[in-house]
Amino acid sequence: MIVTQELRKTFPGQRKLFRPAGPATDAVDGLSLSIPPGAVTGLLGLNGAGKTTTIKVLATLLRPTSGSVTVDGLDVVTHAREIRRRINLIAGGERMVYARLTGRENLWYFGQLYDVPRAVLNTRIDELLELVGLTDAAGTVVERYSRGMRQRLSIARGLINAPAYLLLDEPTLGLDAPIARDLRAVVANLARDGVGVLLTSHYLAEVEQLCGHVYVVDRGRLVAQGSPTALTAGTRLPHTVELTLAEHAPAVSAAVAALGAEFEVGVDAEERPTFLLRSPEDLAGELATAVVRAGGAIVRLEVNPPTLEDAILAMAGASPAVGAESGRAAVAAR
Amino acid sequence: MATALPTLRRNWLVTMRAYQWTYFVGTLATGILTVGLAYLAFHAIGGGRAGGGFAAAAGTADYLGYVTVGAAASMFSVRMVLWVAKAQITEQREGTLESQVLAPARRLPYLIGVGLQALTTTVVEVVVMLAFAIMIGVRLPAPDPVTLLAAFVAASVAVFGISVPLSAIMISVGEAHITQNTLFVAMGLLCGFTFPPGYLPDPLRWLGEALPITSALRALRAATLEHAPLSAAAPDLLLCLALGLAYLAVGLRLLGPAERIAIQRGGSA
Repeated sequence: MIVTQELRKTFPGQRKLFRPAGPATDAVDGLSLSIPPGAVTGLLGLNGAGKTTTIKVLATLLRPTSGSVTVDGLDVVTHAREIRRRINLIAGGERMVYARLTGRENLWYFGQLYDVPRAVLNTRIDELLELVGLTDAAGTVVERYSRGMRQRLSIARGLINAPAYLLLDEPTLGLDAPIARDLRAVVANLARDGVGVLLTSHYLAEVEQLCGHVYVVDRGRLVAQGSPTALTAGTRLPHTVELTLAEHAPAVSAAVAALGAEFEVGVDAEERPTFLLRSPEDLAGELATAVVRAGGAIVRLEVNPPTLEDAILAMAGASPAVGAESGRAAVAAR
Repeated sequence: MATALPTLRRNWLVTMRAYQWTYFVGTLATGILTVGLAYLAFHAIGGGRAGGGFAAAAGTADYLGYVTVGAAASMFSVRMVLWVAKAQITEQREGTLESQVLAPARRLPYLIGVGLQALTTTVVEVVVMLAFAIMIGVRLPAPDPVTLLAAFVAASVAVFGISVPLSAIMISVGEAHITQNTLFVAMGLLCGFTFPPGYLPDPLRWLGEALPITSALRALRAATLEHAPLSAAAPDLLLCLALGLAYLAVGLRLLGPAERIAIQRGGSA
């Protein structure tokens, strides 16, 4: 398991010639989280939240300023080389591979850097090329690859050492939808096979689909954590229910008002009456029952629950004070 | 060697695809120009004779032989520094520094692999340059093979050693040209590639002695121009090796923090 306790990473202020250094920045500020094997854990936040810095510390690329990070009990500072054998990092943006080598040569070279046994390496390279759909382009120099192909090769590179923990920083950035879908399937399979995955992504549907547990950070601090469903429910954001009637029914407005939720009345393009209901709970069932009992004929009923994206935005807006405290409390209770 | 040989192969593949002739011609041209200009100056200005002061300072009256060995050593040094010292900053510029640092492979064998590729290339360049020098009339006596081999190994360690801290400086400041050219100017002035360091004021001469290439050059010239036995060149060889290994140890110590500075500068969010 990867465990961070009160992780802090402070970047010194930038020095400029003949000017005093700027203020230091806490990119990560007392973050405690755990990434178990065999599960996909999400790390979410807005830009500048400290996600990438956190991932770089977990990947041993940066050292923590204070706090501790362990991977299977090994400290990232004192056992960096041993940890590097167990982890890998895939970052979005199609870099991290050699442009003047072919896809196969890249994987061969990284296999050597990870000391993958020769008996295993060639088979693994073939499997990974197949997995990311680059078998036909394996002999092509990477500088001739499209952006998506480079990103797919970068994904294969990240799997070359069969890592026990995989850190994914926006892995589907720039990928076509079918390839991104395939990658999500790969990630889910890896987790099923026992790999611990940490995922950051701007595509929150991806996070909702893959992650059993999500940490939300803002300005380096933990704001909240839980399952995507629990996080969404915890924000108490309103469900919206849109209802359209076949024709005007005088008793319906009173019946809707009796539900006690905030609502708006209007008409649609065909001059049919519409009701827009907002409530912390899903009142679609109660609304439909009330409308029918009041003599209304429903032609359309659409329910929009709050999404994880809505929840993240709400949490980011509500931090730092209350959110950070509740986050710490949640971590402590875990 | 698990990392060195794959890195050697990788660099050969990249070189053959990207810089098939450019580096070769560039390095060779510098050596040929150095020897060619020395030849013209020696005959047009010096009348084909070196002054007594030169023989006293250089330990030989063979000015063209002296410059030819210096030019060969200069080509070798520049090529090695350009490849080994710039290896990490090139990774950074191509976006592969993080994936390289992320792997458990150690830096030393990686840099040895880069150095081996530079070494194999530069041997060919030096041979071509020496052929040119012989063609225009430079006479090189048959060297003492054991001393030459020892001097070659010591010079390789020296140049490799000095390249590693330079690599750390380059990636930590995110700049290569000023750093490398400062070293090249210092080497050209202080190490005695084309004139004896004895002509320099004492402080500069001592500064030159701090660069292992100075003692490497003395050993190379002893092997090639003076046919010196190993025992005669031993003090310079030992000094060169000691300095080269000291620079290497300091460089390896600095490289890890320098890599983290470079990665930190790459993004802080």
